[in-house]
Amino acid sequence: MTDCERLSDRMPEVALLRSAWTAEEAAHLEACAECRAEWELVAAARRLEERAPAVDVAAVAEGLRRRLAEKRPARGRTRWAWAAAGSAAAAAAIAVAVTSGPDDGPATAPPAVAEAGPLVPLPELEGLETAQLDTLLRTLDEPFAGTSTLESSTLGDAADAELELILTTWEG
Amino acid sequence: MSASPVLETPSDHELAAAYRIGDEGAAAELVRRHAPAMGRFLYSSGALPDEIDDLVQEALYRAFRRLDGWRGEASFRSWLFAIASNVLRDEYRRRKGRRVLSLEDRDLPDRSDPDADLAAAETEEGLRRGIATLPRLQREVFLLRTQEGAGYAEIAAALGTTPGAARVHYHHAVKRLKELVR
Repeated sequence: MTDCERLSDRMPEVALLRSAWTAEEAAHLEACAECRAEWELVAAARRLEERAPAVDVAAVAEGLRRRLAEKRPARGRTRWAWAAAGSAAAAAAIAVAVTSGPDDGPATAPPAVAEAGPLVPLPELEGLETAQLDTLLRTLDEPFAGTSTLESSTLGDAADAELELILTTWEG
Repeated sequence: MSASPVLETPSDHELAAAYRIGDEGAAAELVRRHAPAMGRFLYSSGALPDEIDDLVQEALYRAFRRLDGWRGEASFRSWLFAIASNVLRDEYRRRKGRRVLSLEDRDLPDRSDPDADLAAAETEEGLRRGIATLPRLQREVFLLRTQEGAGYAEIAAALGTTPGAARVHYHHAVKRLKELVR
C-alpha cells in the first residue's frame, strides 16, 4: 500500500475528528497535490453534512407511527380481541338460555345502534339467529343502564329448572 | 456498599428486536437516533431541503416494514442509508429524471469572512451537485465513507457488494468529484 493509499484510508477518521494527522502524514499531505485535493473533498463533504437542514424528528416519528399503525397488525389489540370474543360468546350463551324460557316478556324497543368502532371478528356469534343476536345486544346494553345482569328480573323470575339450565350452560 | 445502577443504552439490535414484538417506544428511539443522520445523507445526495423530512419518513417506513431484512452484517444506520438512497432514486424517477438542486440563500453559511465563506459555500454546493451526478454505488460509498466513517467491509455489507469493490467505487467517486469540483 502506498503512502497516498494509506492517507486516503485515514481521511474520513480525521475529517470526523476521530483521529488527527501524524507529523509524517501532515508532511505527506503538504507535499502531495493529489492527496491534498482528495483531503479537500473529504473535508468539504463533512462541512456539507453540517449545512444540511435539521430534520423535524418529532414530526417524522409521528407520521411514521401513524403510517405503521395503519399497516401493522396490532399485537396489543389481538389479545384484547380474543378476550372480547370470549366474553361475547359467554354472554351469548347466557342470553340464549335466559330468553328461551316460556316466560318471555314483550319485546322491548331495539337498542340504539352503537357508534361504529373497529371490527373485531367474533366467529362465536356467526351461528346465532337474528332474534338471538338482538337479545344478546339488549343483554349487553343492560349493565350500562346501571343494573347488574345478575340482579335482573329475568333471572330473578326464573324457575329452579331454568336456573339449573343457565348454570349448566355457564359451567359447560 | 452497593454500586449505583448503570443505565445501559440499548443497541440498535435490541431496539429492533423490541419493536418486532410490539414495543412502539423502541421504534421511536430508533427514529430519534438515526433520522438526523439520514437527513444529512439525503441532503448531501442532492435532495431538496423542503423534501427531506418526507424522504426520511418514507425511508424509515420502508425500513420498519421490512425490518427482518436487516440481518446485522452492516450497521443499522448504513442499512437505513441504503434504503434512503432507494427512496431518493424513486423520487428522481417520479420527477422523470429531473434532479432539482438549487443554491439557495439559506444554504449559504453565515460566517465572518464573506469572501472565504462564499468560496467554501460554492465548493460545498459544487460537491453536492457532483455527488448527485455520481452513479449510485459511488455516491453511497463516498457518503458512507466520508460522513459516517464506515469501513469498506461494513459498506460492502450494507450495499450488497464486496469490500474490494467498495474501495474501487470510492476511488472512482473521488476521481470524478475532483474533476467536477475543480
